[in-house]
Amino acid sequence: MSHIHFPDGVLPVWLWASGFIVAILVGAILFRFIKKEELTRRLPLLGMMAAVMVLGASVEIVPIAYHINLTVISGILLGPSLIFLATFVVNVILALFGHGGITVIGLNTLTLSIEGIIGYFLFRLLWRVFRRLTPAIFIATFLALFCSTLSMIGVVSLGTSHYEELIHQERKGIIGFHLSKEKGDEHQGGVSERKVNLKRFIAIVLPLGFIGWILEGVITSLITRYIHRLRPDLLRLKT
Amino acid sequence: MIQLSYLDYSAVEGKSWLHRFSPKFKIIGMAFVLLGIVTMRNLTGLLLLYAILLTLFFISRIPLKIFSLTLYPLIFAFLFIFISGFQINFILLIFLKVLCGSTGVVLLLATTPYPSIFGILGKVLPSIFVTALFLTYRSIFILLNILEETEHALHLRGGVQWRHPWRSLANISHGFGHLIIRGIDASEKMYESMVLRGFKNKIHYRGE
Repeated sequence: MSHIHFPDGVLPVWLWASGFIVAILVGAILFRFIKKEELTRRLPLLGMMAAVMVLGASVEIVPIAYHINLTVISGILLGPSLIFLATFVVNVILALFGHGGITVIGLNTLTLSIEGIIGYFLFRLLWRVFRRLTPAIFIATFLALFCSTLSMIGVVSLGTSHYEELIHQERKGIIGFHLSKEKGDEHQGGVSERKVNLKRFIAIVLPLGFIGWILEGVITSLITRYIHRLRPDLLRLKT
Repeated sequence: MIQLSYLDYSAVEGKSWLHRFSPKFKIIGMAFVLLGIVTMRNLTGLLLLYAILLTLFFISRIPLKIFSLTLYPLIFAFLFIFISGFQINFILLIFLKVLCGSTGVVLLLATTPYPSIFGILGKVLPSIFVTALFLTYRSIFILLNILEETEHALHLRGGVQWRHPWRSLANISHGFGHLIIRGIDASEKMYESMVLRGFKNKIHYRGE
């Protein structure tokens, strides 16, 4: 749900261009926290986890229009700096196959890496609190997905005036927009209609997302337990 | 994703004029297609662009099996039917933008071997990013092989059955867990062999 599936040309230029700029800045800051040798050594692992994320994203759960991201487990295995580069690469590959536009890569990187980074830190924190793997990973995944979905909704809502503009040329509305031609009406009615519009979008995304978060939380917990049984060193947990 | 191997096969084995065309100009052409998608807001222009891309697709003798890849993004575009209140013009506009983008990219990938694409990208993008992209692309093929074996193992353990959702979920998760562990093992071996071949932060492509 946190992945923005908009094709190219739907989001305003200023929005996706800022997405790229912010993503590059955040990437530059995060790379200061990792040593060059460490980065080189872990590049194959990064490639492999990014590939796992691509495969996860290509399995669509059609009834709820959801696909698992596996960003939290990747974040835990890679750490906060590398997960950012991994999500960037994943979004480039997904965009090449039309899974979200090429221009949306920057914004998608930001929302997905929020998921991975929050998931990583929450998991570490909850592990210290519970000392039990399943609740720690489930809650971390659920909350990380919730946060990234909220950020996705925030990004989508920033472009509402542009959707309005796109529809204006068709003289009709999108997502419940009905444009008033008089400026006064626009000023008074526009705000409330925009709220209704966003509410409708949120009303579709959040309930479907909720089912998806639980599903992904369970899947991530089971995967983590499996990894913990066979290769506990990968999780780098302090006991 | 499984059709990726067909893309690769077509890119390497294809003999059409588009296959022989300079990868640099094909990437520039793709950038223009993208510019058209972002800026064009009329159906006629987009329809014309799509017609050009389709013509290029068919005269390049790309296997028809790959064509379905260009339609895959429509799954996500269907959402616009509902959120736009069934406005046909807007839906067509979105669908055409989606189809132009996916056909352009598939056309590029099916006519250009991926080392050539990564070689050119390496000249304009940071090497660490291009290396990560290259390793991810390679890892997808490794994982697809492991996935094939895992699918057999999952099938023997009951696979996915709607009547037993919990067992199915556990099977899927263990399948992914197995995929991750085998993938990480493969990545460790890959790193060791890369170091033996002199890997230092950057992959060099033939012709560089």
